[in-house]
Amino acid sequence: MDTTADTLFSRRAAQGDLKIKIIGVGGAGTNAVDGLKLDDLGDVRLAAINTDAQALNQSPLAEKLIIGRSVTRGLGAGGELEIGKAAAESDRDAIARLIGDMDLIILVVGLGGGTGSAAAQVVAELAAKTDALVLAFATLPFSFEGARRKRIAEESIGDLRQLVHGLIPLPNDVLLQEGEEDTSVLNAFAVADRWIGRGVNSLCAMLLKTGLINQDFSSLRSVFQDRGGKTIFGTGTATGGDYVKDALEDLFICPLLHLGDRPAQLDRILVNVIGGTDLGIAKVNEIMTQVAKRFGSREDIVFGAVIDESRSQSLELCILGKAEMDAVAAPAPEPAAKKTITTGLGLETEISQDNQFSKPVHRSKLPGKKKQPDVNQDEFTFIDNDAQRGYFEKTDRNEYNDEDLDVPTFMRRGIKIKIK
Amino acid sequence: MSQTRVVAAVEIGTSKIAVLLGEIVGDSGLNIIGHSVGTSKGVKKGEITDLDKASDCVHATILKAEQNAQSRVDEVYLAQTGRHLIGNFNVGSSNVSSPDGVVRRVDMDAAKEDAKRRTLPRARTYIHHIQNPFSLDGRPVENPLSKEGRQLQVGYWSVHGDSEVVSDSLRVIRGIDLDVSDIIISSIASGAVLLEESEKENGALVIDMGGGTTDYVLYRKGYIVKTGVVPVGGDHITNDLSIGLRVARKSAEEFKLKNGRAYYQTEDRDEKVWLFGDLTIGDREYPLAAITKIIEARVFEVFDMIKEQLEVAKIFVPGDIASGVVLTGGSSRLAGMAEAAQRQFGLNARVSEGPSDVAEELRAPEYSTTLGLLHYALTGQEESQQPAKPSGILRKLTGFLNFD
Repeated sequence: MDTTADTLFSRRAAQGDLKIKIIGVGGAGTNAVDGLKLDDLGDVRLAAINTDAQALNQSPLAEKLIIGRSVTRGLGAGGELEIGKAAAESDRDAIARLIGDMDLIILVVGLGGGTGSAAAQVVAELAAKTDALVLAFATLPFSFEGARRKRIAEESIGDLRQLVHGLIPLPNDVLLQEGEEDTSVLNAFAVADRWIGRGVNSLCAMLLKTGLINQDFSSLRSVFQDRGGKTIFGTGTATGGDYVKDALEDLFICPLLHLGDRPAQLDRILVNVIGGTDLGIAKVNEIMTQVAKRFGSREDIVFGAVIDESRSQSLELCILGKAEMDAVAAPAPEPAAKKTITTGLGLETEISQDNQFSKPVHRSKLPGKKKQPDVNQDEFTFIDNDAQRGYFEKTDRNEYNDEDLDVPTFMRRGIKIKIK
Repeated sequence: MSQTRVVAAVEIGTSKIAVLLGEIVGDSGLNIIGHSVGTSKGVKKGEITDLDKASDCVHATILKAEQNAQSRVDEVYLAQTGRHLIGNFNVGSSNVSSPDGVVRRVDMDAAKEDAKRRTLPRARTYIHHIQNPFSLDGRPVENPLSKEGRQLQVGYWSVHGDSEVVSDSLRVIRGIDLDVSDIIISSIASGAVLLEESEKENGALVIDMGGGTTDYVLYRKGYIVKTGVVPVGGDHITNDLSIGLRVARKSAEEFKLKNGRAYYQTEDRDEKVWLFGDLTIGDREYPLAAITKIIEARVFEVFDMIKEQLEVAKIFVPGDIASGVVLTGGSSRLAGMAEAAQRQFGLNARVSEGPSDVAEELRAPEYSTTLGLLHYALTGQEESQQPAKPSGILRKLTGFLNFD
């Protein structure tokens, strides 16, 4: 993973005209975006918005906006939602200018505090007014951070979801599971940043790098046609050995894919593979078969495969998917807008013929047809702010001393469980 | 000639429904003539979430028990659990009214009434008033009648529940045209049959960990001084494993039964267990430590919550719980439960082997609550001539068993 993080922006965008901006909102969001910053950024622009001038000064990002000086005198929102809101409202014009005219905007925010929780909504709302596709990565506070932050996060995530095309919630309790056995709390926060890095990384690499199977921006748009709805996100990596099998296994046990209820209908899934020069089309085909088997039929899945020359014997998988909110409970209605996507892959016919390291790209028409998902996909699940409760998702909250007893104890206590 | 009636003891649990049929002859003898355990649906955390599903399961199980006994049920004693149950300790007092300062029956009744008169908010219903010892001028007395003193006091452990939830379970039984004679909370029912009289005297904590809830009752000096429900059970352990190990619920359940232990030990780090163990595709190894750490966190938490509730009530006095912790319920089958309880409470702990005076097949933890219901069906009968006070649909049910 680190390999990719280092090399992510080291190549100039293959599609030079694609404008991407990653905006960190609030303290946690800015920190996460800081972590992404590298020397050669290509066309990916990084920006930060915060109320806390001092914190923002320490950020190495080029584009920075202090909001709400008139409200907070540059001192931060102090965890107060109202202050964060007022700060963002007072600087709507400046925020709109910072958003600018982009194709893709990725918001990165830590929910639960004052600035992130409130200002992210204003930023999302303004971004929604442009033509850009807006995605958001939002971390949810640890249980040990207290019930208040949790409540704030839960309130804001619902509002934020309606404003963006795809909202990826990252519950910190869950992400902690991925750290090393004795990760300290401070490091635990960094774990969330790494996850955001993986997601952003994979997205940008797919859009900007030359691929074995290229996916362009329209494929991404096809996954995130409408605002609202639930987004799923998961990654898997492996190096050396049987790295294809290991990466798939790592993806299938990604904690973010194992929360909450199983969806009745998925609209579309985007799967991106980043591999080294040894990643041949046969391996890609194997990955696709396995992923399709697990997550639905091939027709519902958009695949992309990218070569990163600095890698070898290593693989990074990333999946992003979307379903309408109501589709989770009831038999799914036909999606509102049927759209034919222009890229994709007809697998059987085009792949099986050779095993060469062909960089050029297959392109084929793929109808945006809907199918009932495979009934066997019992591992496929959704995440939401509520979804750490698993089996108990549909029941009343089990509140006890400000904790929800239905959420696994080991998660609330920050006990790390190593399963490999 | 004595009259014979057939009583069904019914426990609508989260994962299973247990029914025991007892034949009560006259007013003393009880024969268990039929039993049946069925799968439960539409119940989560001890409360009915789907009335139709739950009804179907309960009816099927009662029917099976009737067939088993070749007999028809006359009346039902029903167990009740769920987080809606709340208990309070209320103390009532009266001044000794006779000029010679000798306690008369009327003074005792006045103290009792005083303890029980606390009115409940709307939509709450009393289920039990459990009497504790009297005290005369601050000194505990077993029987104050005819003793001399000025002020008489008596404590009651009173349990009340959500009227809506209680009537849901009544509806299930009424659905097959049966009458519920009384409702008894699960912990009290289990405790009644699992403890010897001497253990109740010495003090004991009975913990009944089922699928959706953990019910407990604390006996001190022979009296029930506290009951409680923690809305966490074996279902939570399974769910925790499913999320933590990222496996389907079914696999998590299998891990729990096959490899689970209530506490973690360092050796678990080096031991691996297979998901399916059949060499099929998708099978993989998991460290035993992952399984036991997840379970330990949950089990210890439940025990700690119970301990905390007793400490808050200032009744966690190890010397007064000399008979220690007695575990029952389906989750008590989990390996290492007694050790875990011993560690968390600092008391002796054992998993109950069931009452010794019933057939072996009925000693399983599944039946302890229903056995307790039959116990009360038999003994409660002798004391059931209490005036029924509460009104509304539950009028017939409360006040029957006053435990005094």
